[in-house]
Amino acid sequence: MSKSLTVDEKSTVETGTARAPAPRWMRALVAGAAVLAVLLLGASLGMLVRLPGAGPAQPGATSVDLGFAQDMSVHHRQAVQMAAVAQERSSDPLIRVLAFDIEYTQLEQVGRMQGWLSLWNAAALPPSGRHMGWMTGTAGIAHGHGEGGEGSGGVQTMPGMASPAELEQLRSAEGSEFDVLFLQLMLRHHQGGTPMAEYAAQHAEIAQVRNLAEKIVTSQSAESQYLTELIRQHGAQPLPPPI
Amino acid sequence: MASGKSSKAVRNARSVVTATKPKPWGTVAAVLAILIFAAGIFGYVFWQYGERRTFIPSAENQDPSAQIEGVVVEDYDNARKHVGFDERVAYDQIPPFGGAHQDGAWAACEGQVYQQPVRNEYMVHSLEHGAVWIAYNPEQISGAALDSLRQRVQDQSYIMLSPYPGLGTPVSLQSWGHQLKLSDPNDERIDQFIQSLRLNQYTYPEPGASCDIVPGFDPANPPPFVEPPDPGEPGAVPVNASPESDPQPAGGAAPAPGGEQPAPAPPPAGG
Repeated sequence: MSKSLTVDEKSTVETGTARAPAPRWMRALVAGAAVLAVLLLGASLGMLVRLPGAGPAQPGATSVDLGFAQDMSVHHRQAVQMAAVAQERSSDPLIRVLAFDIEYTQLEQVGRMQGWLSLWNAAALPPSGRHMGWMTGTAGIAHGHGEGGEGSGGVQTMPGMASPAELEQLRSAEGSEFDVLFLQLMLRHHQGGTPMAEYAAQHAEIAQVRNLAEKIVTSQSAESQYLTELIRQHGAQPLPPPI
Repeated sequence: MASGKSSKAVRNARSVVTATKPKPWGTVAAVLAILIFAAGIFGYVFWQYGERRTFIPSAENQDPSAQIEGVVVEDYDNARKHVGFDERVAYDQIPPFGGAHQDGAWAACEGQVYQQPVRNEYMVHSLEHGAVWIAYNPEQISGAALDSLRQRVQDQSYIMLSPYPGLGTPVSLQSWGHQLKLSDPNDERIDQFIQSLRLNQYTYPEPGASCDIVPGFDPANPPPFVEPPDPGEPGAVPVNASPESDPQPAGGAAPAPGGEQPAPAPPPAGG
């Protein structure tokens, strides 16, 4: 019994030294190399699956990117429409240039957003006919009358949009009355679109979408200041801001 | 003592192992395969990036002009006040490349080659619309040198060329918030600058805006150049006036350095 035990002990010692002949640093080196190899393999496979920055992102149907592109297209189009009227009807060259600037820029931006939607195989307009449901947790949306739909939320009319009656009034106005009404409606329109652009600038997934939203916020704030000045120069006051 | 004994044992054991155990060819092959595979993939990716190390802006490389030596960058994104025709902006850079600018119109920038120096306030408005402005010192650039600059502008979009009196270098390139001063009109950085910054959606404030000719700016007879006023001069609009800043400062918060003038002097005189 005691003899066999010593033999056993001896053999354990021998096999032990045979299996772990390397000093500690050598074992650490081997383990490190193994870990490195695994990481290298993982990184390579990862790059094989998707080159960093390559390939277009495809936002989902309820995403901020898609909702913003659809709703801002609608919002911008009304500004384009009003600006086109002003280019034709205003007698003030400053207002005509401003209207050209707005029409050209916003129509170009609508083109960008519509191009994205087409590449994303998404609807050009919000399919539900309701707007801004993608802006969750926004005060204006929380109590939107979304009971009619299947809980998609959103609003029927976006803030800052001129009503059909207001558009009619604009079309029939003349002279200085026209200029003031155009400036007032356009200022309110800019103000109404800003929260939407601000939300998308923060929450959209795709860099190009965030960038455009950001640029809309800054450029429309500069333009709103100019509109306000022009309204005052015409001896009038801005309309109450939307919501 | 014991350690010497055990190290002897180890040496013995090792020699035994090397003698008996076969070479780990499987492991060697596996490691080699991993290395070759990884080297291939990494090489491919680096090659791809090498191809992409261009001056074309992208979401990952929003401002490729950062790779160009000598580009000066200023942030004017909150300094975009629009000023009236009679107002003059105390630009802090020569030529200016951002800040407050003319509101009623912009300098046409559809490949315009201006023979005469143009008023800064209009040129800066064009930069806001995504254009690149090539300015040159008319005393240093003429003939073939001028032709090479003109070639980069004529029949091109969102770019314009004009002389700038007293310019410190022969050539100076401007886009919104960016400037590159050069002495050689054939410097390769000219094309790099244009590629990096013209209509770069990430670097100019109004994506989609126009370079067309508008009423209020006649490219055949543009508003002539005026030396920018000193910041302290009465009536001079600070270059960094923000759109939000009220034209009639109520609390005296105007950042003008020589602010010893309580009289507000509102701009619109010709109403």
